[in-house]
Amino acid sequence: MLLGAAALGLGGCDSDSVGLGLFNRRQAPPAALGEAQQRRDPALSGDGRLLASIVESNGRSTVLLQEQPSGRVLPLRHLRGHRPHSSPALSWNGRYLALLLQQGTQTIAAIEDRLSGQLLRLPPPPGARIEQLSLAPDGQTLALQLVQGGQQRVQLFDLSTLLEPDRAAGMRSSNPLP
Amino acid sequence: MRARRWSPGLLLSALLPAMVSGCMGTMPVPLNGLNRQLEQAGGHRNPSLGERWLAVIEQRGGREQVQLVDLQLQRPVPLPGLNRADALPISVSVDARGERLALVRQLEGRSEVVLYRRALQSLQPIAMSPGAIATAVNLRADGRQLAVQVSRDGLWQIDLVALP
Repeated sequence: MLLGAAALGLGGCDSDSVGLGLFNRRQAPPAALGEAQQRRDPALSGDGRLLASIVESNGRSTVLLQEQPSGRVLPLRHLRGHRPHSSPALSWNGRYLALLLQQGTQTIAAIEDRLSGQLLRLPPPPGARIEQLSLAPDGQTLALQLVQGGQQRVQLFDLSTLLEPDRAAGMRSSNPLP
Repeated sequence: MRARRWSPGLLLSALLPAMVSGCMGTMPVPLNGLNRQLEQAGGHRNPSLGERWLAVIEQRGGREQVQLVDLQLQRPVPLPGLNRADALPISVSVDARGERLALVRQLEGRSEVVLYRRALQSLQPIAMSPGAIATAVNLRADGRQLAVQVSRDGLWQIDLVALP
């Protein structure tokens, strides 16, 4: 019975029985109508307006940035030639999109500023591989998951000298995106 | 006078800014104090940043558990009731205020999604649809929506769950 209710909820119907863990849910909008795609690595902007994810396109992993709930795909300036992509992260209003991308034979971290069009690149240190990243909602701190010598570790970086804060509405210190 | 010893991790964090290139000007600054603490505490994976919080899966003594670090005070905070000895954390995500954590974990051979509220020390299961196996979570910074990566019928898909 409960499982049936959860399945109904997936289709967009509401099942808000909080104590049972049944919440209002839906699938992320598709990138193209009628197309069943592999999608992974979801990342929501803090204001809930944007969803970034990785889709398989022509056999290559590509970041997809969509408005919610319409599913409208938003363009990204710098990233087309640097696939495969992985591990996207969005700042509060979606001004910054951080992700891992391919540069030559290396996987590097990069942050696209959707307001200014600039791209910040962070290559891995010698002997280390970047596996995953996280961007703080205000865009002021970056965490990298690295593998070196067979061990996973997390390293933190202060971006406040590089990026303007992208804060929640009412606390905003940069221009809103169109 | 003895030369200062650099561990690989600290050397790595010192070198990385010097290697940064791109269209933007200066370099990111490694948070050396925190990086040193993290390195000394063991291996870590699956970082998730709030505005002054880092949620991470810590690997220590053959066990993995979720840890929440206050970046201002530079120390972990207790998460009573979240970590279980018989559960394997797979993916964790924290909201901006460090109040809510979403977790995918494996328990008794099954994956489950739970929402932890720190102020209440409460743990709430988030039911997945039949046949969906959760493998990763991303909690919106305001804590009001959850994106769950699931495997369903051989396809990776993303479910969006509104949270009260």
